This record gives sequence, structure tokens and C-alpha cells, in this order.
Amino acid sequence: MERKIGVYLCECGPNISEKVDLDRVKKEISSIDDVAVVEKFKLLCSADGKKYLEEQIKNHNLTHLVIAACSPKEHEITFMEVCENADLNPYLFQLANIREQCAWITADKEEATKKAIRIVKAAVGRVKYHSSLEKKEIESIPDVLVIGGGIAGIEASLQLASSKRKVFLVEKTSELGGLIKNFEKTFGDMKSATELIDNKIQNINTNENIKVLTNCEVGEVIGFFGNFEIKIKTTTGENEPIEFNVGAIVVATGSQLFNPEKTPQFGYSKLDNVFTSLEFEKMNLTKNITLKNGKTPTSVAFIHCVGREEKGYCSGICCLYSLKYASYLKEKLPKVKIINLYSDLCIPGKKDEKFFNEVKSKNVDFIRSSDVEVEKNKNQLKINFKNKEGKKNSILVDMVVLAPAIEPTIDAVKIAEITGISQDKEGFFAEEHEKLNPISTSTEGIYIAGCAQGPKNISETIIQSEAAAGKILSSLIPGKKIKPEVKTSVISESLCIGCKTCLTVCSYGAITFDETKKISVVNEVICRGCGNCVAACPSGAASIKHFKFNQIYQELLEAVK
Amino acid sequence: MTKTVVINENTHKGIIEFFKLLLKKEKVRGVFSLKKINKDGDIAYSLITDPDELNEAVPFYPLMPVNAGKLLSRFTLKGSSKKPVIAVLKPCELRGFVELLKRQQGSLENLYIVSFTCGGVYPSKLSLDGTIEKNMNSYWNEIKKGQIPNDLRPVCTSCTEFFPYTADFIVDLIDNKEMDKKLEIFLNSKKGEELTKDLDIKSLENKIDQQKLDKYLKKRETEKEKIFSEINKKLNGIDGLVDIFGRCIGCHGCSKVCPVCYCTLCEFDSANSEYEPSNYDSELKRRGGIRAPPGILYYHLGRMTHIGISCVACGSCEDVCPVDIPVAVIFKKVGESVQNMFDYVAGKDVEEEIPLVTFKQEEFVEIEE
Amino acid sequence: MIENKAAAITIKSSMKNTIIELLEKAINKEIFDAVIIPMETPAKDSFVYVLVKDKNLLKDSNPLPPVMFVQGAKAVSSITRLGEGNLKIAAILRPCEIRAAIELAKVGQTNLDNITLISMDCPGVLPYPDFLSDPKKYKKLFEEAVEKWDNKLMRPVCQICNHSSMVSGDIHFATLGINKDKMYLIPNSSKGKNLIEKLELPLKENIESWQKKVKEISEKRHGKRKKTHKDLKTKIGGIDNFVDTFSNCINCHNCMRVCPVCFCRLCYFDSDKVKHNSEDYLDRAETKGSLRFLPDTSLFHIGRMSHMSLSCVSCGSCEDACPMAIPVAQVFSMIADETQELFNYVSGRDLKEPIPLVAYKEEELRDMEDAHD
Repeated sequence: MERKIGVYLCECGPNISEKVDLDRVKKEISSIDDVAVVEKFKLLCSADGKKYLEEQIKNHNLTHLVIAACSPKEHEITFMEVCENADLNPYLFQLANIREQCAWITADKEEATKKAIRIVKAAVGRVKYHSSLEKKEIESIPDVLVIGGGIAGIEASLQLASSKRKVFLVEKTSELGGLIKNFEKTFGDMKSATELIDNKIQNINTNENIKVLTNCEVGEVIGFFGNFEIKIKTTTGENEPIEFNVGAIVVATGSQLFNPEKTPQFGYSKLDNVFTSLEFEKMNLTKNITLKNGKTPTSVAFIHCVGREEKGYCSGICCLYSLKYASYLKEKLPKVKIINLYSDLCIPGKKDEKFFNEVKSKNVDFIRSSDVEVEKNKNQLKINFKNKEGKKNSILVDMVVLAPAIEPTIDAVKIAEITGISQDKEGFFAEEHEKLNPISTSTEGIYIAGCAQGPKNISETIIQSEAAAGKILSSLIPGKKIKPEVKTSVISESLCIGCKTCLTVCSYGAITFDETKKISVVNEVICRGCGNCVAACPSGAASIKHFKFNQIYQELLEAVK
Repeated sequence: MTKTVVINENTHKGIIEFFKLLLKKEKVRGVFSLKKINKDGDIAYSLITDPDELNEAVPFYPLMPVNAGKLLSRFTLKGSSKKPVIAVLKPCELRGFVELLKRQQGSLENLYIVSFTCGGVYPSKLSLDGTIEKNMNSYWNEIKKGQIPNDLRPVCTSCTEFFPYTADFIVDLIDNKEMDKKLEIFLNSKKGEELTKDLDIKSLENKIDQQKLDKYLKKRETEKEKIFSEINKKLNGIDGLVDIFGRCIGCHGCSKVCPVCYCTLCEFDSANSEYEPSNYDSELKRRGGIRAPPGILYYHLGRMTHIGISCVACGSCEDVCPVDIPVAVIFKKVGESVQNMFDYVAGKDVEEEIPLVTFKQEEFVEIEE
Repeated sequence: MIENKAAAITIKSSMKNTIIELLEKAINKEIFDAVIIPMETPAKDSFVYVLVKDKNLLKDSNPLPPVMFVQGAKAVSSITRLGEGNLKIAAILRPCEIRAAIELAKVGQTNLDNITLISMDCPGVLPYPDFLSDPKKYKKLFEEAVEKWDNKLMRPVCQICNHSSMVSGDIHFATLGINKDKMYLIPNSSKGKNLIEKLELPLKENIESWQKKVKEISEKRHGKRKKTHKDLKTKIGGIDNFVDTFSNCINCHNCMRVCPVCFCRLCYFDSDKVKHNSEDYLDRAETKGSLRFLPDTSLFHIGRMSHMSLSCVSCGSCEDACPMAIPVAQVFSMIADETQELFNYVSGRDLKEPIPLVAYKEEELRDMEDAHD
């Protein structure tokens, strides 16, 4: 095929022409084989410039185009569009940067000119080996995957679902509702938690645009914003995995409690009648607040800040739910003595101090303490502590309820691996920016909501879920087109020997293994063209479009000759 | 009568002078020849651009480390050089190159070929302990006398195609009593004539002594008969083949060095030739046992089928075989048989099409009956 | 993990016959369906690996042949690369062949699920060219060498091999340090133990004497190995010496083709990427006045090293296959020792150990980073 390469040198009026003798460059380049025309122009990126280029391409029947101008970051797309308008495949074009990488950084004009000549020669050498490539366009998928069926996931689902947007709500247990299902009431307003969560679940179940997948876990996530390929597996292991595609993901996997066995001084799991807050909630919900021997307690101590020192942060909700527990007790067992042992009180919200005063007024003790220890004392529990003056003290109670720190769930590591989002030092999912963007993650299209991101109460969770929904609603508009990478990897079927080295280095999960043919196959839609596989393949069976061996080799050869 | 150019100098020195002249006058940009590449005197093909480096060149050395036809194919595969290059090839190397040209694996553009009537080469192993160097004088003495030296590659002692048909320049070494005094180069093509047109070199006219060459041919034919009858005794059916190729380790070195084997990925290395577990199962059922890896005879017979028509009997395959299988003699025999069926000599004429891919309506009618 | 107890078998006529009888017994009991074992060629000039199902064919086999014609891992790979099939197979291989088979399993080139890997104390193998010069003579010499456990005639890399009794397969036939009329079967995995139990051989022998003898030999070899490598390094170190070492190389690539761990279908150095155009070659020639053709011989060897050095098992097949008698194995084996040591890796030691080159560790080789400070 006869090549006609057109080379256009931009004066970049006068950024480049000031420092580079473009006439000399023109002379040198004109003598290269296959170069049909070399011209200077004042400003190629201007409207006049673009029109000029289009005419030149058409008039000279150019097969390839080289433009010597600024950085590709500035105008590669501009000139690619020019090619398209002139019916020249935009990938048969190479932009030689003689501005940022030459004119702007070389003081001596002679040196700059020599360098510019090399750079343009290299671009011409390379472009000879370019192939036409077709741009791809696929429609983004408006649907959303919500991982976690607690209040965060439920709220996000309800906000997102519509006739144009399906929501897949995946929950690993057999029921929706998460932690709230264990509560009788919510703190502060002391309204029925059961009603709250049952209503929400009812709304989910009657919403035909939300598909609920209980007893399910996310097995695989590959892809990118607008096109994630999801594989769900059932926890019972019986059925086939479920596969579907979504455009965005909300991770709302919630939290669990710090295990007080790690702080043995509180006697958890060693002594009878020492419970965690969640265990107490469950007892209360079943209206069965009893001691191990079946009797009702006459005195209950709430120990706050369990695990706070170990974790290094305040979970922010424990003081408030302790107040709630005090209310539960006062209602069900009015005569019971209630003592709170705390190291700091955290009562921040606009209504919470009022709640605190209400509870305190019902004869509930609050003692600031440190070095708290629980030991057995006949049928009771003796709590030793130091008061705020540092003096040793002790009390005897029937029951102890611990308020352990909030931790990310045990599944967080697995989810992070599967989705590719990062965890912070505490194991919560890392937000993009602590202050300015606590909902997005480093992976575009994956958002976090609820305690999965950090300890928070129900209203804060609702706020975050709605925010995540908002982000998705505004950016993942149904019908939006996404343009996958054109310069993707290609693995030769006849050359691949199936060693899977490329698979181990692909960060995007874009390579799968065909077990029948025993070869690696690239998913062109998901491939980002990073080139790891090409570097790793020992035999060279993998190559990247537009960065083929010959293209790079010839460019280098011309640059160093 | 053919035009010649003459340098009154020992042939081996004269050819160097000739090349130096071409380089200095910028008639060529490079000379391709065997050369001593280090102080130990190891010899390899080299592309020489500096006339001084030519002092180490040994163009007629009786060694073929690699078939140079294959090398020229690599040199010109991605396009000919802009300026001319001149290369010294042995006749079988040239024929190998011609067969490759017929398959689009190179180009003659800007390439001049020097060749010679060839006395044969030694197996490469003999270069390792200095045997060849020790034999140098006796080798050339035999050649000058029109005799066949000892210890050469079997396919060389039995080679009947020692005349380089398509070369631009021919040096007649065999039975050349004037080798020590004079270098005479026959200009065998217009191209060759053009190149030497205004060189400061004596030009004459002469005729190649066909009678002398026919006499030598007879000697070689006698050797060929001997070698063929010996190998025939072993080539009796499958059992014979199993005996000969039994120790083959499947390294495919023969294919790699063969000038005519040009496929980037050989069929017998590709996924098409791999055995699936079910293949092993069925073979075990049939015969109770199967060699692993399998397909040794299949590979050799397959290669014969693919390249037999173009085998130039250079002997590189036998040299490289780590288990000393007489591959070259076998392929020479089979190759010649196939080529005879079509009155074809591999590499003799670049215009002659490869018989196996040329359709002729009237051909082998007797087989149809 | 090697078990401390082994099963003993009496050697009646010869070790070879004892092993064959054992295999026949195992096939009879349907413990496995077929065996990969070396057999002599019909022309009696070499040995080949055969997958045998018919136990009548076993009598022509030889579990410890004098030469390594094809690296056994290649035989295992050709049979299992495309899947494990239905047959249960026992493979009798040298220790380095088993190691290579394990390395290949890490890159999907062998499937060891249905294979029981059986090794034995290895006396080494003769260089193939020597054997071929007079097979009858060398067969006898080999047998004598095995008797005395003397490896002077073996491949250069065998002579300094300190893994000649390395156990990384499923069962090991032990002969060193034990009475000549006995042989131990040492299990190294549950597969191996299973096999021995099914053969109704009680695991009651103490293997201390074998371990002691193996350690003694290994330490002696280790010293010799270090010295040999030191001398070799002086000889080939530096680019000029290295190029000289490979000056006779004709780029036939036999070494790569017979290497068990060079598994690429099309080697990078045979691909289009090393094929350049005439102008490039001429430009290169002009920089020095002449260019060896084809150039880049050393690049092939160094490139091959960088691709496979971490998996090299020092079997020596490359050197036997070189038509120009270049000491390829000696060079590659020496470099492999050093590259593997860098990662505390021994190729083929353990199937679960990933090849360092594709195992990412955030904290690794920090000392290399410091060089740039």
C-alpha cells in the first residue's frame, strides 16, 4: 500500500517558532521516504488551522498524518477529530510534542532544532506502522447493585429504583433489615424500630424495580463505571451463580461489634451475666431481660467505651443507645438500679442532650471512671474502677452490659478485594475524601454508605445513602454512552500457551482463561490498555493495539539514530 | 564466452581485494561473508561495511555454520537495503535462498550474489577442536586436483548440484590449477556486469570448463550412489524408520536450521499437533503403550511432505542433530525423488514455480488410471 | 513433608527388576492404570519415555537409564497439559525431572492431579554424545558407576548436583546408605502414602541411615559446586568473556527447545520482534565496521536466562543438545543458583510455592532500592 504521510509543523504562534528553526525541520523531514508534504502553519489548533488540515488531508489524499506541535494532552483529541472529519482514521495520526518537550525547555535554538528534527522523525517512523482502529461505544447500564440489606442498603435502593433503573439488592443472610431488626426502639425519639424497619422492608418488597437476593454473596465484580459485570453466588451453595450487569455499585455492608473477649478485664464470655449491647437489645426485644439463673436483675451496669483504647476511635452512638437501654429498663423493670460507667460522654445532636437529661432525671447514675474491671462476687458481679479523682472504688451489680466499639464487618476484606476499593487503617472502606467526598471511593462508580464507611447512627446512615443515590442519579443517566478503551490488549490464540502469567498481573480482571482451549482471552470492553500483560508475557503472544512492538521500536530507532 | 574480471593474486586474497574495491568505490554498502570473528579464529557469517574488517574475511572457507540463504532471507525479509550489498554464498545456500524467494521470504533487489563451484564443507563439530584448520592445506590441494576431500558432510561428498546457476558472480574453484596465482570471476548476469562496469579491474572473456566439471560430477555421482544404497538398506518400511528416528528427541533443530523451513510457528509445534487426553486413551487401548511426547515419525514425515520438494541437500539439519541421525541423507534422498517426479531441481531457477503449488491439468495421468 | 518411616522391599535380582515388579503389581491391583517409564529404543541406541498400559510391555523398560534423552517433565507435560484424562498414572523420573514437572504445573503446563511422581536416588546421567559414540560400552560403564556411586563420567552439572536425592514428588526409592539387598519406599505426600498402603507394604523402616548418607553426599557436592561456580564466574564474567563463551553459537535454539521449563509455544527470540530490516542491520554494521549475522546471540541467551532462570532445575539437557559443545548448562545452572537464592527459592521444591517472578510482595528486595539513594 502506498503511503502518503503529511507532516504539519505548528508555529504555535510563536511558542515553537521562536525556539525551533521550523524551515530547517521542514527541509529535513521532506527528504524522508513516504513523506508527501511538509508545511508550517501559524496555529493548527485554531478554527482556521483545523480547516486547513482537513483540506490538506483531502487534497493530498494523505494516508497518514503527523502533526508537530504541543503535548498530546492538549490537542490529541482535537486533531483526531480533524482526521475523522476528513475521513482519515484518527489512529493513523501521531502528534509529535515539540513544544513542552522541546521548545519550552531547550535554551539553545540549534539544540532545540536538532531535537525537534529527531522528535518529528521518530513520529514519522512510528506512524508508518499504525493501523486503523475502530472506536467503540456502548450504552451504559443504568441499573445498580446494592450490597447489604440493612437500613443503608434499603434506603439507597428505595431512592434509586425506578422504571428506568433496576436495583439488585444483595443480602447475605436470609432476611433484610440488618441490625435494626434487633431493636425494639430507636434512641432519642424512642419510637418503634420494628415499625420503622418493617415499613421499609414492605416498601422494598412491593417495589417491582428492586430485585432482592437474600442468602446471596457477591462473588465477582469486574468492569468499570457504566458497565460492571457481576457474579452472585448463593450462600447455600446449591444453585448456579447469578450474573447480571450494572452501571454502579453501593457498598452498604454495615458493621459488627468489637469482640470484648479481646478485653478480658470485662469478663465477657468468662463470667455469667456479662452481655454486649446487641445481646441486650435482643433480650429486650423478646421481653426477656433475665439473668442466667432465670431471675430478673435488680441492678444493671452499662460499661461504655469497651475497646475504644484498642481501636483508637469513639464510635459515637454507644452513649446514646445506653440512654435508650436505661429507658427500656425503667419501662420494663422500674425498680432496677442503673449505673453508667463511662470515660467520656458523647451526646452531640440537637435533640440528644434533652434525651440525656430526661434519662438522667429518672435516677440513672453516670460515673466517670477508668481502669474498669469486672469480677465474680458470689451471685453478683463486682465492678472495680477508679473514679475521676483516681480513687479506687467498686460496685456490685447483677448484670453488666458492655458497649463495644463499632468495627467493619468481617466480610469487609473480601468485599474490598472483590470490588477493588480500598480499606482505611481501621478496616472501614476508604472514602475518596474525608471531608469533601465521604461517599465516593477511589473506584469510579462504586459508592459507600452506612457503617461500612464508619460508625454512625440511623439518620446519618439515611443521609449518606441518599447522597450516594443522588450521585448515581445524576451521573448514571439512562441512555448515557460510554466509550471503552480502543487501545486494548490482544492475545494471539495460536501463540498463547496458557501459563496465565498475564492473568496474575491484570489489575482490571480483563483477562479470563478458556479452559477448553487452554488460552487466555482479553475482554475488550473491560481492558484499560495498561500493558501489564504485554510486559509479562514471556513469548510475546500479547500485544496492545496502537502500541505494537514495531510501532514503538521504529519510533525509538528514529529517535536515537 | 562469458565476461570475466581478473585479479592476479591468490584466489583467496584476490576476492578480498575485489570486495575492498567495491566498498571503497561505494559500489556496495556491505559485504556478506564468512569471517574470523575473534582472536580464537572462530568463524561466522558477517555483514562487513569497513574495508579493513575484510582482512578477516574467509569467503570460501569450507564451513557452513548456518545456511546463508536463510540469513539473506532474514536480511531482506522486511525490505531490501537502499544501497547494494554483495554476498558470498555456497551453491546450496543460494538455491535455498531462491526457494525462499519463491515463497516471498526475501528479495534480490540491491543484492548481488557471489558463488563458486563448491568442493563441500566439513561438519561444524570439526571446527571445535581445530580439525578444519589443520586440514586446510590438504582440503585445497584435493580441490585443486579435482578430488573429493575426506571427512566432509556426507551430502557434500555426494552433491551433484555444485554449480551456482543463478549467481551474479561465479568463481570456479574445482579442479582449478591456477587458484594460487589468479582470481577469475565470471560475470554470470547483466546485473553483475553492471556492477563491475567502471571498476579499475582487468576484464577478460572466458568459458567455464564444462568437461572438467562433468568429470567431477561423475565422481560425486559415484559417491551419491554409495550413500543412497547404504541408507536404502536402513529405510525399509516403518520398522526401518523407527530404527533410524527412534532416538530422535523431538528438538526440531533440523527444522530450525533448514533454509526452506520458514514458518514462524511450525505446524508441528502448534496446538494442532497436541494430543488430547482422549487421544492417549485411544492409543493405549489400541497398542498398550505410546511414546511421550508422541509424534516423532509424524513430524519427520510431515516435514518431508512440506519441504521435500524444495530440499537443497545442504546438510545443516544433520549438523545440528544432537543425536546424530542421518537426517540430511534421508531428506536428500526423499527430496530428490520428489523433485525428479517433476523434473525439478530446487533453487535452480528463480522463475520456475514450485511444482506442488502449480496446477497443471495434464499431469500424472497415469496415477488416475 | 517426608514421612519418617518408609517401606522396605527386598531386591532379588536387580533394582531395575524390583521396581518393574512393583509397578506390575500396582497395575494388577488397579492402583494405577498406566506408567510413564523409560524404555530402550528398538535399535538399542537410546531410551525414550513411554506411557505404558499393557504391563507386558514393562519388561523392556528401564527406570534408571544411563542417559536423559528427553527431560521427563516434557513427557508428563505432553500427556497432561490439556487435562488430566481418566487414567491414574505413575511416573518414574529423575529428581530434577520431577522438579521441572512441578515448576510446569505452576504455569499450567502439566496437570499433576492424576499423576503419582516417583523418584529415586540419582547417580546422574552420561552426556549423550559420549553414550552415542559406543552405547554398549557406556551402558556397562554406567552400571559400574552406579555400583560405586561414582559420577566422574556424568554430565558436568550432574557431577556437582546437590539435589540428587531431593524428594519433591510423591514417593522416593531410596538406595543410599542402606543394605544392598534392600530398597526403601519413602512417601512424601498422602498420594504416596496411599500407594504404599494399597501395595500392602508396612511403613516401619527408619530412614535415618539414608538421610545421613544423603546429607554427606550433598555437603560434599555443595562444596564442589561452590568452587566450580566461582571458577566459572571468573571465566565467563564480563561482557567480553560472555560473548566469547557463546562465540560458536549458531542460534539453532536447541537448548531452549529441549529445556523442560521453556514452555512458550513461540519463543520471543523466534518471533517477529527479533526480525529487523536490512537498513537497521547495515546501520548497526557501520557502527563497528562489521556485524556478525545473525546478531544478538548473547541477547538470546541472557533473555532466555531472565525468563526461565528462576525455574531452572540444572538438569543439563541444554548442554547435551548443543551441536557446538558450548557449556550452556554449566553457565545457566550457575546463574540459576544465584537468582533463586535471591528469593530463597528452590525451583520445584513445592507445588504451593509460587514462582517469585509472578508473586507480588510489597516488602521485597529493599537492598536493591537503596542503591539509588
